[in-house]
Amino acid sequence: MIVTNPDQTSASTAATKLEARDLNIYYGKFHAIKNANLSVPQNCVMALIGPSGCGKSTFIRALNRMHDLTPDARVEGSVLLDGENIYAGGIDPVTIRHRIGMVFQRPNPFPKTIFENVVYGPKIHGERNKKKLLEICEKSLRGAALWDEVKDRLDRSALDLSGGQQQRLCIARCLAVDPEVILMDEPASALDPIATSKVEDLIDELKKEYTVVIVTHSMQQAARISDFTTFFLMGELIETGTTSSIFTKPKDKRTEDYITGRYG
Amino acid sequence: MAIARTGVAPKSWASRTWWTFSTACLIAVIGVLFSIFAFVMARGFPAIKLSLFTTSTHGTAGGLLNAIAGTFLLVVIGLAIVTLVGLGTAIWTVEFAPLWAKRVIRFMVDVLAGVPSIVVGYFLYVALVEEAGWGFSLVAGAIALAIFMLPYVVRAADVAFSNVPRTVREGAVALGARPAMVIFSIDFPWALPGILTGLLVATGIGLGETAPLIYTAGWSNYLPTLAPTHSPVGYLTYVVWTYISQPFEASHQLAYAAAALLMIFIFATNLLARSFVEYRTNRSR
Amino acid sequence: MASMDIRVGDTARAVSPAALQRSGSQTILAVLTGLAALASFAIIFLMLFFLIAYAYPAIRFNGIEFFTSGIWNIGNQYGSGTMTRNGFSAQPGASFGALVFIFGTLLTGALTMVVAVPLSLMVALSLVYTVPKRLRPIANALVELMAGVPSVVYGLWGMVVLVPWIGEKLAPWVTAHLGFVPFLGGSAGSGNGLAASVFILSLMVIPIMVATTRDVMLAQSNSLFEASMALGSTSWQAMTRAVLPSVRSGVVASVLLAFGRALGETMAVLMVCGAAINSYPENIFSPVNTIAAVIVSQLESALTDASGMAQRSLAELACALFVITLIINVVARGIMRGADRREGRAA
Repeated sequence: MIVTNPDQTSASTAATKLEARDLNIYYGKFHAIKNANLSVPQNCVMALIGPSGCGKSTFIRALNRMHDLTPDARVEGSVLLDGENIYAGGIDPVTIRHRIGMVFQRPNPFPKTIFENVVYGPKIHGERNKKKLLEICEKSLRGAALWDEVKDRLDRSALDLSGGQQQRLCIARCLAVDPEVILMDEPASALDPIATSKVEDLIDELKKEYTVVIVTHSMQQAARISDFTTFFLMGELIETGTTSSIFTKPKDKRTEDYITGRYG
Repeated sequence: MAIARTGVAPKSWASRTWWTFSTACLIAVIGVLFSIFAFVMARGFPAIKLSLFTTSTHGTAGGLLNAIAGTFLLVVIGLAIVTLVGLGTAIWTVEFAPLWAKRVIRFMVDVLAGVPSIVVGYFLYVALVEEAGWGFSLVAGAIALAIFMLPYVVRAADVAFSNVPRTVREGAVALGARPAMVIFSIDFPWALPGILTGLLVATGIGLGETAPLIYTAGWSNYLPTLAPTHSPVGYLTYVVWTYISQPFEASHQLAYAAAALLMIFIFATNLLARSFVEYRTNRSR
Repeated sequence: MASMDIRVGDTARAVSPAALQRSGSQTILAVLTGLAALASFAIIFLMLFFLIAYAYPAIRFNGIEFFTSGIWNIGNQYGSGTMTRNGFSAQPGASFGALVFIFGTLLTGALTMVVAVPLSLMVALSLVYTVPKRLRPIANALVELMAGVPSVVYGLWGMVVLVPWIGEKLAPWVTAHLGFVPFLGGSAGSGNGLAASVFILSLMVIPIMVATTRDVMLAQSNSLFEASMALGSTSWQAMTRAVLPSVRSGVVASVLLAFGRALGETMAVLMVCGAAINSYPENIFSPVNTIAAVIVSQLESALTDASGMAQRSLAELACALFVITLIINVVARGIMRGADRREGRAA
């Protein structure tokens, strides 16, 4: 299903939700991301594209401090959420991840029931009220367009769901903590076309309430669903802009080469 | 911290506390191990003198020659038995057994691993020492150890043989090699490290067993006579058990020395087994 | 030693030369190895059968009292005549009630698990997460080395170091200051007893559980941990509420196996338990006895029983222990294989 991208002239007036400033990421000695600067406006979908190995996954993981989990990785520079640097000393990364959630490439539901999966986040944050949890569960599953399919089997194992359903479950799980930003690292690449299109429809809905940053290896997908697109190459942020301008009038030759398929 | 949302959130300090506690548990457990090791070595090592290896126990003191010889013989003969039976079982399971039989054998062998040593010992006491009239004997003791070591050897050999790559075997068969030939000339060399590791692990276990031997090998203050039956055999673990209970310092010395020797032997086989595993994993496949 | 629980594939089967040709050497090999396999298969049945057959006179003689009475008495070897029950005879005054030993075995086993399971989980978690990568091989090796220490050496340390410490320092302090807590008050004892046994047994079963738990956690991919962290959990929550539950069946199986091991442990317990006969522990420092320990410690006295009933009753004890550990083992292995099948690994 093709979604037409509105020409976002109003984008320049939208507030910046998330901003990367002079971001440099190192894996040991390897300089993976070089001096990246990027502004992500509120309530939009920002796609990160580029050939494999260009660093887009590395970049997006810096946005919710997932690199803290990797001992070899070092992040320099800053990432601002509503103007505040999430890498500032004294900030507990755990609190960041409430507000910036992430959906991974391969669906990774916990081997628990569907209900347990969705309310996992609120539970570890201390929510105990059973009624409240049920409410959150329904709201999140609806938000992930999964409610109708699973509402009768919330107490069944999440592993019984199909791949596409599992991924939407992971999205619901992410929604349940009520984030403001949702990061998606190639969320549909492990899914079949039908499931993919369901997830893409979902993303289009999500941007109404959340800000979405999505890594995709498919330019067509980026063109379909995103408002803004950013092109990465070999660790460098080459160009960023509205999706329509990137795909029709790219400013940088390297962007143009990628778009026109000179290299994959 | 304006960036944190107000409301409930997981407490990172709780997480840190738990991790500290878990590390403390690790250190405590390793610490106890060290203290046991240090204790045995501190008291046992000085007691190891040359005379230990040249004299046998007599009464409440003496040397450890008989015990060392006994342990050695029991373990070696036990290994011989278990190699035959264990390898045979593994080969049959991998080569000849239908699928249902594979499952059954593997299951039974696993269950065997859980049988208490004293049950094995008492069974053999009843069956061999008493009913068959062998009396306390070398063979009964060796069989006891063999039964004990069996699951480890079978499992290791089973895995080792199963992991021989199909392509290599196909090559041999295509050249017209007969089945037995393939097994001996192809499978064995490939599986050897795994088998040896299993045997080493089994040796470590056999060295340290007492309960099954009390009822089968008995005890003897004299060097083992190599008579298979009607002749009890001494072994190191027995010394540790009984001599510490004697009221004499010389006996205690012997017990510590025996314990120290045991630890050294077992430690050595452990190290050997580990380096075999290293060798196996580093070998390019 | 690291537990060698490895799932094997059937690579060899597909092109087994045995399936392709029939020849003399193959038949001989098949027969010989088949006999070996038969022996491995049959040994358990052989043991069970033999022990039950030998213990049969005692089973008939003792009847249900075996399980309900706590009085173990081989009778009067100098008395005249014999006692006869159900057609089998023993020395006059003999009575073989094993309740004390059965109770002691289960009690020490259960308490050991209560102590050892949380500790093992903590240690395994630490090995997987907090220990720096460079130190991991050493830490792993050390924990596995613990499994190689002979039972008698644990007993030796127990006798010479642990028991005196309990008897002279720990027990008096606890009974004096914490005596109001049930089972902590009363006589401080000599140090030999329940507490010492549980302590030693815990040391012996911890390495088994740690090795398995660590292995199954490491085999799990990182994705569940990452998923949990991305939802804003702490690393501890991620490990204990996302990763650990996902390997639950492996952990449960290893706990059961460790329990079976604790029940069957002989020498170390023998050396520190206090060898209670005909008495039940009143607090955690009281002497206890386990089936395994009693079989060893009572053998000599059983040999003085001319009727042989004492020996046969010991065999009955061995049967009881055998059956208990068999059941536990079969259940544990069943759990492991069930989990494997569910998760798609070869049986």
